[in-house]
Amino acid sequence: MSKDALAARKSALKAAMSRESVEVLVLFGNNWHADHLRYATDFGIQEGQGMALVREDGSITLILDDPAECERARGEGAGEAIYAPALVAEARKQLARAGNHNSCAAPYHLLPYGLLHGEKDLRVADGAKIIERLLMTKMEVEIAAIRKAAALADEGYAIFRNAARPGRKDYELVAEMESFFRAKGVPENFMIVGVGGPEVRGMAPPGGKILKVGDMVTTELTPCYDGYYAQICRTLVVGEPSDAQRQAFAVYLEAMEAGIASVKAGVTAAHVAKAENDVFRKYGLGEYVTSEYTRVRGHGMGLFPDQKPAILEDVNITLEAGMTLIVHPNTYHPDVGYLVLGDSLVVREGGHELLCGTPRELFSVPLQ
Amino acid sequence: MRRGLMAWDSSEVPVSALAERLARLRCELAAEGVEGFVAYTNIARGGAVWWLTGFTPYWNEGLLYAPANNEMIFATALSKRVAEWISSVMPAGEVTTTPSPSALIGEHIARHGAKRIGILELDDFPAGHAQAILQAAPGVELVDVTQAFARARNTSDPVERLLLTKADALVQNACAAVNLAQAEARSFIAPAESVARLGGAEECFTLVACDLAASRAFVRTEYMGALGETFAARVSLAYKGAWTRHVRSFSKTEFLQQKFDKAHAALMNFTLHPGEALGVAVERAFGAFGRIVNWGAEQPRGSFPLAPVANFADTAQGFTAIAPFVLDAELEIDGRRWIGSRLIGL
Repeated sequence: MSKDALAARKSALKAAMSRESVEVLVLFGNNWHADHLRYATDFGIQEGQGMALVREDGSITLILDDPAECERARGEGAGEAIYAPALVAEARKQLARAGNHNSCAAPYHLLPYGLLHGEKDLRVADGAKIIERLLMTKMEVEIAAIRKAAALADEGYAIFRNAARPGRKDYELVAEMESFFRAKGVPENFMIVGVGGPEVRGMAPPGGKILKVGDMVTTELTPCYDGYYAQICRTLVVGEPSDAQRQAFAVYLEAMEAGIASVKAGVTAAHVAKAENDVFRKYGLGEYVTSEYTRVRGHGMGLFPDQKPAILEDVNITLEAGMTLIVHPNTYHPDVGYLVLGDSLVVREGGHELLCGTPRELFSVPLQ
Repeated sequence: MRRGLMAWDSSEVPVSALAERLARLRCELAAEGVEGFVAYTNIARGGAVWWLTGFTPYWNEGLLYAPANNEMIFATALSKRVAEWISSVMPAGEVTTTPSPSALIGEHIARHGAKRIGILELDDFPAGHAQAILQAAPGVELVDVTQAFARARNTSDPVERLLLTKADALVQNACAAVNLAQAEARSFIAPAESVARLGGAEECFTLVACDLAASRAFVRTEYMGALGETFAARVSLAYKGAWTRHVRSFSKTEFLQQKFDKAHAALMNFTLHPGEALGVAVERAFGAFGRIVNWGAEQPRGSFPLAPVANFADTAQGFTAIAPFVLDAELEIDGRRWIGSRLIGL
């Protein structure tokens, strides 16, 4: 575990609080949105809910509503951790003790209702201005962790390719991945899959589908290292790809490479999305880059696997050096079904640093 | 982040069983004078919506609205394509996707003309969603109905017991798969994850207390190191949304391992007699093996799939003896820490 990353984050948080004259920052989290809590405490919450009270002097109190999670937090060196079955009541008590002067909280929309509206309403402002930019734009010590996560994603995809063979169930592939990741020290991995042909319109958790010859198998793997996620998206075919599958893949490859080539500090997320989507439009596939068929053309990653900015043609967030993204033109193709391809990268001045090393191929699983 | 098997099997979870649960809840809600019910769900707080619909989101969040009479509505910000998948694995309720699930639920509440809406765990309900409901349904009163939900939920029906039986078999197989030949905790526990997911676990959390002499804290793989003289594996998993846990302690010393095995056998044979206090049953079961240091019990509570409901210190509340529970016990055996945990009462 990198103590340097935590120390750097705490220092950045303290500076941001000082700039905004915030005395207490409340960070809320659970296993879905663990990023805010992890930023300040390094604790990756797994069960229940938690809040961290970050004070202007840099001291932090972590409050958790699950006793085993509280023990784990202490065991993992997350600092002062309090078990409170009534999370909201404890947080209100702690805030009252702090004087409730100039307090902020994030993520604001997920904050427990009772924290803001109790017997006496607390004055807690939206803390997005303090932490959102810190979550998006990473320091080099954070990028080092994402680089390691990307290397694990590459290794993981090799395991996935070897696991895929006719007759296996989709969730059995996931089982191999997860066992591999646990042995490598990866506690979390966001992963969805798709198996089949033109009837497949997206990816989802595995449902027990059996792999058969000719199926396209799509996945996005998103392991985390020191809390930081990196993603890779690839498609393989069970057996030899058909001409239609190869032709479709060529469009996605061209789109991804166009998107990646457009990434540099100063351009917008919309600019990258347009570079990807223009390729689809060029081949008469413009309909398939709409929300009817695809969600995003990539997204940010960090302590959360799907953070801002979303890569979409209507998102005008300017990319900054130090942002980490995946560019993935994943969408439905009318001839072959849902197809994915994506690489993680770091936005740099004048360009980008590619993080994934897996070849950009439509992989083929040999029939044995 | 659910990435294990997620599928609906009507022979495991018949629609009629979900309808019976909803009917029980509506009875309790009527007594509270509310005209609808809203529950929040995400991967950490999926218990209530799962109980009513059989579904837990693999990612993101959602809101379930159960009006007094009409069909339930599940609103989520996941994409329209994902909604098609949700409908295939969620046998009850109508799925709607929208950028603002709470606003959509609020609009339904306003359309139904409801004035009092019951919210599960109002204190813990996301404030942003509460605000959006209130904006879309001006004048509506949000009422906490956590106790009413608990009354409806406090039994375990045959459907839940069947899923828990499968989950229990899976978690025991997973714990039995740990590799005792390994010196490092990561390699020791990794096979458990594999067995759990190959067996169809929807989710699996594998933790290790690497050196019980130093700490009883179970840590995740990123913090694991070498195994001490005594150590323990903790596997928590969900099968089709039904959660359980199993903890098993080990010693590298054969003599001590034999004593640990006896304590484990006592855990496996643990029963709670009718009318018996849980603490008394724990004393009866484990008193002969060593000093009882701590114990606790977990059951589903509201939106939390497993939550503390009774413990040694008597600070946890809500235990019901008529439903299965996960018992966690810590003993001191020959001056060494032993921890065990398993599902009781199937």
